[in-house]
Amino acid sequence: MLRIARLYIALVLVFLYLPIVVMAAMGFNASPLYALPFEFSTRWYQDLAGNDRLIEAGWNSIWLAVLTSVLATVFGTLAALALWRRSFRGRNLLRILLLPPIAIPWLITGTAMLVFFFWTGIGRGLHAMLIGHVALAIPYVVLVVGTGLQTMRADLEEAAMSLGSTPVHAFFRVTLPLLLPSIVGAALFAFAVSLDQFVISYFLSVPGMTTLPVEIYSAIRKGFTPEINAISTILLVASMIIILGFARFARPGGLGDSR
Amino acid sequence: MTAVDVTAVAKSYGTTTVLSDITQTFGEGTFTSLLGPSGSGKTTLLRIVAGFVKPDAGVVRIGERDVTDVPVWSRNIGMVFQSYALFPHMSVAQNVGFGLGRRGIRGAKAKAEVERALEMVRLPGYGDRYPRQLSGGQQQRVALARAIVIRPDVLLLDEPLSALDRRLRQEMQVELLRIQRESGLTTIFVTHDQEEALTLSDSVAILDRGRIVQVGRPAEVYERPKTRFAAEFLGDANFLTGTVRGGAVEIADSMIATEGPLPVEGSQATIAVRPEKIAIDGAEAMPAAPDEPTNRLRAKVLSVIYSGTSLTYLLRSGELSLKVFAQNSLGRPLDSGTDVVLSWAPRHSVVLAD
Amino acid sequence: MPAEAGAAGAPATTRFRPPPWLATAALLLPSYAWLTLAVLLPLGTMFAFSFLEATPLGNRPVEWTLRHYRAFHDQPYLLGVAWTSLSIGLWTTAICAVVGFATALALVRATAGRSRETLLILLLLPFWTNGLVRVFSWTMVIRGGGFLDVAARSVWPDAPSLGFLYTQPAIVLGLVHGYLPYMVLTCYIALLAIDDAVIEAAMSLGARWPTILFRILVPLAMPGLVTGAILIFVPVIGAFMEPRILGGRVGVTMGTVIEDQFTQAFNWPLGSALAFTMLAVVLGVFATFSGVLRRTAQA
Repeated sequence: MLRIARLYIALVLVFLYLPIVVMAAMGFNASPLYALPFEFSTRWYQDLAGNDRLIEAGWNSIWLAVLTSVLATVFGTLAALALWRRSFRGRNLLRILLLPPIAIPWLITGTAMLVFFFWTGIGRGLHAMLIGHVALAIPYVVLVVGTGLQTMRADLEEAAMSLGSTPVHAFFRVTLPLLLPSIVGAALFAFAVSLDQFVISYFLSVPGMTTLPVEIYSAIRKGFTPEINAISTILLVASMIIILGFARFARPGGLGDSR
Repeated sequence: MTAVDVTAVAKSYGTTTVLSDITQTFGEGTFTSLLGPSGSGKTTLLRIVAGFVKPDAGVVRIGERDVTDVPVWSRNIGMVFQSYALFPHMSVAQNVGFGLGRRGIRGAKAKAEVERALEMVRLPGYGDRYPRQLSGGQQQRVALARAIVIRPDVLLLDEPLSALDRRLRQEMQVELLRIQRESGLTTIFVTHDQEEALTLSDSVAILDRGRIVQVGRPAEVYERPKTRFAAEFLGDANFLTGTVRGGAVEIADSMIATEGPLPVEGSQATIAVRPEKIAIDGAEAMPAAPDEPTNRLRAKVLSVIYSGTSLTYLLRSGELSLKVFAQNSLGRPLDSGTDVVLSWAPRHSVVLAD
Repeated sequence: MPAEAGAAGAPATTRFRPPPWLATAALLLPSYAWLTLAVLLPLGTMFAFSFLEATPLGNRPVEWTLRHYRAFHDQPYLLGVAWTSLSIGLWTTAICAVVGFATALALVRATAGRSRETLLILLLLPFWTNGLVRVFSWTMVIRGGGFLDVAARSVWPDAPSLGFLYTQPAIVLGLVHGYLPYMVLTCYIALLAIDDAVIEAAMSLGARWPTILFRILVPLAMPGLVTGAILIFVPVIGAFMEPRILGGRVGVTMGTVIEDQFTQAFNWPLGSALAFTMLAVVLGVFATFSGVLRRTAQA
């Protein structure tokens, strides 16, 4: 029974990783038509280095993700503090309002942004994508930081105040240091959300102001070349590293668990 | 050293009244337990004294100072939390020194104070450890050191021993009492453990549904409960209800004598008798002349709970169910169904107010 | 915080501190202002657009109409498209449910400690990588002459091509790959909460594995299954990139039709109306199953 169960998990893992591995391997195959037998080459990565379009889109993606991460983390952390450490009327409603960006299909959110930004004159481009990405990332940050606050007992702040800390002092000396792993985790998460975001970027991009996923999409639609495999592999490895970092930081309890 | 005065304090959340009209003085250097079931308002009262909860009405004074509108951080209190609330990212020394730092005491002077406080709780040299490296009992001591090192005006303890196992709890009770005596701090201790309250306190206050129903020395509260709630919550009790007749209470066909003042002739009265105050004898041992100053009641043993050193008899006398604790001195409990005579001195019949 | 509430209306001896609601509002304002600007107002505007006669360009007069909501009636081919989307959604959800539940069960019952933790991370990791790239990676496997064919021909040199790129099963395959981790996670959480003693009790009463599976594990893990199904079904019926890449010509779904209205046909009112029709379906699914979830939670 145990054997079968473990074999089954292994099969599922093969299903999940096989196409990714095949794709990554093809990026190192010399043939432009994906012809086999396999012949190792870094040719496509070298081509990539000369592809200004993709490189520019790559930088756009990175900058967008950095800005999204910073803004969403700051705003989301503040909101999480209010939603998990203060009681006020309408708190549940505000928590529910975090769901639309997560639960409504991105196709709908993305087209709605397109319509609204066009209509108000905000227009399309990197600034519009930034507005969209931050909005998508905020709910995740609030939830991750909120979970961190939930596992951190409120009596630590009370203990600090009983020893003479003002609420502001207690926040900086006790709450913030203990919350830091969650906040770092949330920032990485927000970074990954932005870096991998395709649908919303797709509707808000204009030629010359695109991100890597949008460029990859248009390249795929034009026809496959191993260059796409190369850039895709890089993007994939980058997000995996970020998410593994997130898993390390945002483990429930983190450093905040004294029991 | 300072006394704490709470005057006419009330608190409600929405329509739920948590505390109503509490007036109580916690004397200088005394150890007072607030004892009550959950929801009785004992924790709220402690948190009002601490300053975490603002009372709807009333005044809180620490010493001469009216602190009702003073925030927690300006009150100079020492508090030990149920879960200890040690800062997990700080060493033991940093935890204990936290309050000193807030009072401008730093460097060598702070270090000496921290070391002295750790000696007081018998953890000298533990300064460099982190809370997660300590056992529950040790964390408890650090929390106590952190609270007393700042020389607070009042020490507030919120069920600090409830997370410890039985052995450790008894050990810590002794420690706590020693430290309180040595430091001479006015101490308010919230607990739902009656034994703990009796062992530790100079004074026990029993709370029920937001009111203090009785305050006094432990022996006084235990031996002379004023109400049925107090008698039931603190220890065990048998309740006998009857009519006052000729300076005694008539229950079924027995007359129960008491030393306390009784209500007027002909009215209803309830008497509480502690189970360990009742002696149990075989029925054949009943003396012929019932004129001695002893209350006697015929009863039948329903069942016996055997627990080694002691026995608990559950008995029935007419309509009454009774409970009696007996020492297991004979090594052979009475069988159920045995007819027995129960007897106790009139001074152990406590007349209740309700 | 109670301490702050206590400070409101303090006597003049204490320093002025702003009322607590002000601090709460200041903490919440940036996030919710942003969400309003970027999500709520756009959805509202799009809702209004769905009643317009045509995309408001230039000086064309604004005319209101309900006709875009009659699109399914006026353009019957949309019914076929909706059916394609629905069947893709149902197939994907069903396959994910079976495979994901079994994976979660294997994880909970056959692994422990560190290895379980590592396996869980490995199972969830692909989910947080770029969906587009993963869809693209399947084309490498299932295209004619792709990895699948190469693997088959290494066993039997004369095998016919097994490639099935540009078919509906290809779309479902890509979507299952994309959303399976959701189901694994929700079922894992639900199964983890089941006490071993419950299963032992069932075994002591003579239950065999099929009985335990269908009478105990599946019902108790139902909230996880339902949550996973919602989390998968909702985005899948809005998918447009997967059908385009893996479905090619056959990949016409509600998602691609809506996308076309915004990027090709430039008929924004129709696109908006279709999007809101889809949103209504999504909300309907939510409403139906949140009731089911609440009832299971109470039971």
